[in-house]
Amino acid sequence: MSAFILIILSAVFTNNFITVKTYGICPFLGVSKKTSSAVGMGIAVTVVMVLATLVTYPVYNYVMVAHNADGTEIWNFQFLWIIFFIFIIASLVQMLEMIIRKISPSLYNSMGVYLPLITTNCAVLGVTQMFNGVTSLGDIVTGVGTAFTMNIGWALLYALFAGVGFTLVMIIMSGLREKLNCYKTHKALAGFPVAMITACFICMAFMVFSYIKI
Amino acid sequence: MINLLALTTPTTQTWVTLGVVAAIFAGSALLIGALILVIGKVFKVDMDEKVTKIMENLAGANCGGCGCSGCGGFAQKLAQGNCSLNDCHVTSPEKKAEIAKLLGIELTDEEPTVAVVHCNGGVENCADKFEYKGNPTCAACNSLLGGNKACSYACLGCGDCKAVCPEDAIKVSGRLAQVDPDRCISCGACITACPKNIIGRIPASAPVYIACSSNCRGKEVASVCKVGCIACEKCAKVCPHGAITMHDNLPVIDYKKCTGCLTCVEKCPRHIIISRKVVAEETPQTENN
Repeated sequence: MSAFILIILSAVFTNNFITVKTYGICPFLGVSKKTSSAVGMGIAVTVVMVLATLVTYPVYNYVMVAHNADGTEIWNFQFLWIIFFIFIIASLVQMLEMIIRKISPSLYNSMGVYLPLITTNCAVLGVTQMFNGVTSLGDIVTGVGTAFTMNIGWALLYALFAGVGFTLVMIIMSGLREKLNCYKTHKALAGFPVAMITACFICMAFMVFSYIKI
Repeated sequence: MINLLALTTPTTQTWVTLGVVAAIFAGSALLIGALILVIGKVFKVDMDEKVTKIMENLAGANCGGCGCSGCGGFAQKLAQGNCSLNDCHVTSPEKKAEIAKLLGIELTDEEPTVAVVHCNGGVENCADKFEYKGNPTCAACNSLLGGNKACSYACLGCGDCKAVCPEDAIKVSGRLAQVDPDRCISCGACITACPKNIIGRIPASAPVYIACSSNCRGKEVASVCKVGCIACEKCAKVCPHGAITMHDNLPVIDYKKCTGCLTCVEKCPRHIIISRKVVAEETPQTENN
């Protein structure tokens, strides 16, 4: 049970993908002008993160790194992970987009536009890369004992809550930017510069979480 | 793992590993390619050719002025016949004619429209509820108890509409915004910017408009504003052409029936039905003074 809570806290707060790991800055600054689009982006990223983990975790463990029955490596081309993962995730998102478009046009209208944008978003790649060669859950979540061996269930849970953390920061950022729009800012700072300052303060606020020792 | 340095003097082992990597890549490429093809075939969406052709002719501003979600939504509604071409204020008449040809309908010439501010409050006529010293934008002012005007339908006069107007057609004097009908292109930017939703469109040739947006009852309006509509219904009764009807304590003018006789302007006890001919003549004079 504690592993569950630790994964959630770690993925959402202490190792937040935007504010602590600084992945996925492009949607963070680009799609955070309106809360509605920020929520759409966040949900799309969450879905793609989970789906990408679902596919890349077995691909890494059974195709890219193959073991003999006695545990010796037959081959290992882990160094090609970027090319291979981009290739897989991009085509996966392509298929997902086609399917959503056919099955639910309304969902496609609200979320579909964000899907092509995040085919190889660094946050998505980052979350899949995290599980590469990890044998124990304790390696990625501090405070979890080494007794927990890494498996696809933990990986999916981590990916899901990494997406939730992403959405959370997107919503905070877009809310602040919407509020800022109501106020007159200095001409030199209006628009994007003040958004950067806002981003800085959000990151500083999230830094607090990284000092929490569990 | 492949030793890249060893590639200079390739051993059989290296070639085997390279072959395996290449084979895995090629295999997955084939597999995924086939999957995409199959999914593309199974989940093929039949795009209406009409819609794509309409899209090509629309302005593509995605302004949302028509009330649809972007030009795509408008094109779809047009193809289904659910809305009128005149709802779009951005597309040029030539392009509209082409779309009308595609749809096989007659392009009815609708008069150009202009935006008007349905309020005549300002500093003199409508009192302040409290003194507002915050940021000088309507959006900020409105977020604090709905603004500092005694009437909750009043123009706040901070000029959010003026700031977004691309043609510089809006003037704010005495904390009341006014649209210059000669400059207005009816783009609708001010209509979306106004937090009070008191800017609307009327035909450019409309002889009169109503300078009040309050849906409150007469007594409440009279207590907060000197010129607000008290819903006495006199205009509706005196109009010889039956062009005025009362709706939610406000007169609504049917501009198709209105002939510009100005009877309502004379009879209105609060002088909020404003003759636009007079406005046009008076404006230069006040500027000179």
